[in-house]
Amino acid sequence: MAITLGQGVALAVMAIICGIDFWLEGFYIFRPIIVGTLTGIIIGDAPLGMMCGGITELAFAGLTPAGGTQPPNPVLAGVMATVLAHTTGTDAKGAMALALPFSFLMQYIILFCYSAFSFFMRGADEAAAKADVHKINLINIECTAIIALLYGIVVFLCAFVAQDAMKALVEAMPAWLSHGFEIAGGILPAVGFAMLLKVMLKKEFMPFLLIGFIMASFLNFSNLLPVAVIGIALALFVYTQDESRDAAVKKALAGIKVAQEEDEEDGI
Amino acid sequence: MASSAPDKSGTPDATSGISAGTGKALTSSDVTKLGLRTLFLQASFNYERMQAGGFLVTQLPALQKIYKDDKKGLAAAMTDNLEFINTSPHIVAFLNGLLIAMEEAHEDRKTIKGLKLALFAPLAGIGDAIYWFTLLPIVAGVCSSMAMEGNPVGPLLFFAVYVAIFCMRIFWVHLGYDLGTRAVSKIREASEKVAKAATVLGCTVIGGLIASYVKISVASQIVINKDVTIKLQGDFFDKILPNLLPFGYVFLMYYLLKKKQVSPVILIVVTFVLAIALSFLGVL
Repeated sequence: MAITLGQGVALAVMAIICGIDFWLEGFYIFRPIIVGTLTGIIIGDAPLGMMCGGITELAFAGLTPAGGTQPPNPVLAGVMATVLAHTTGTDAKGAMALALPFSFLMQYIILFCYSAFSFFMRGADEAAAKADVHKINLINIECTAIIALLYGIVVFLCAFVAQDAMKALVEAMPAWLSHGFEIAGGILPAVGFAMLLKVMLKKEFMPFLLIGFIMASFLNFSNLLPVAVIGIALALFVYTQDESRDAAVKKALAGIKVAQEEDEEDGI
Repeated sequence: MASSAPDKSGTPDATSGISAGTGKALTSSDVTKLGLRTLFLQASFNYERMQAGGFLVTQLPALQKIYKDDKKGLAAAMTDNLEFINTSPHIVAFLNGLLIAMEEAHEDRKTIKGLKLALFAPLAGIGDAIYWFTLLPIVAGVCSSMAMEGNPVGPLLFFAVYVAIFCMRIFWVHLGYDLGTRAVSKIREASEKVAKAATVLGCTVIGGLIASYVKISVASQIVINKDVTIKLQGDFFDKILPNLLPFGYVFLMYYLLKKKQVSPVILIVVTFVLAIALSFLGVL
């Protein structure tokens, strides 16, 4: 059974809403279990949607965006698994596999946006320096709107207009390009950290940066909590050192006041 | 020991005088709204600054209330809140609440900055462990098996659980805010020393962040003969120092930004093009 124009539009609208939710990680209506069910309702076969959504959800539960790597897109997986099961008559498991190329396509598009949106930060820096609240809001709305639009277009094209062409596009995409996006994602934070260091780093703080770096490099641990604990230890050490130094200075000053005969200390 | 001169050259010490006595700028409902606004955390997510733009948007209405007509103060706060951050959207509200309490008390900017840096990464780790690696597989497992039998309770239950998790953000933001308010009164007497200690903490964590977020891995190999190949990454760079390249690249960027005044835009373009080109050549 084919998808009608009305269904195509409805799917696109649904994808925009769920896509924004995935972008913001808000209410988890971007998960395949929800997306599949909604797709099923739109194309008039809710049980099929739940079936495909459920199977895809189980497969995707282990794929997490944690740690900066972007898994195959769950929204496209949910939509396309259901749509393909409906249009081709494949069983839910087979449809999920057929949906994967579309899922990868959206993943690449988002990866590209992650890199491209770095440019918005320049305008944001300028706006922050001028306390321009309106512009900061605008930049965030723009980014989210671009993502929303992309979801709408991609889902409309994939589900209604040109399924085969979209699939061919994914398959024709060279591996080095998608790999390149991932590499850019691995290196671009370096610019962010350099910006941070430009403001924060002074020679006296360099030792602590090195300690944190070496700790995290040799500690094979996914969480930075141990590094933060070392940081707290160092901070406490510095704080108590400063405190005792201040106390010593105070004591010395008090001593000077007692010996008032000598008046050489008034210089400053 | 040579006394490490506090690096304050006329920075605002007036902070403690102005707003300490005059009631609070934020009401309880402002704090609740702040928690709900954490929805925008990832609104302008990008690789360079990650959640920075969205984090600032979350804080903005509260910051505006705190700084009112003080444009300079607001600009400084906005600039600080636009620095690199990447944490768990589920529990970021705790951080928002804590930091806004400090902003409200006009705590030293360095203290706020150091605290934010120190907390976001561990919070990310804790949040991922709870929400992605534990809760999602359980909820997805239970609900999916129901959905696959055609039982609508599956997707409905899934949705209900995550709406509840979202509402928890109100709890997190108030927890953070209360903690922050209590901490502020204790910090007050020694704010300069606390600011320095916070910067120490922040710098330690930045070191760790560089090692865990910046990833450069060379794929090239040198083939000596049929049996012997030298993997540049595994046999060479990793044998010198793990994460040597990420560290080197960060400091190259730092050098270009600070000493050569190169625009960040150029650095981003060059980095991006370099990444694609080196991927094409098979180097990375």
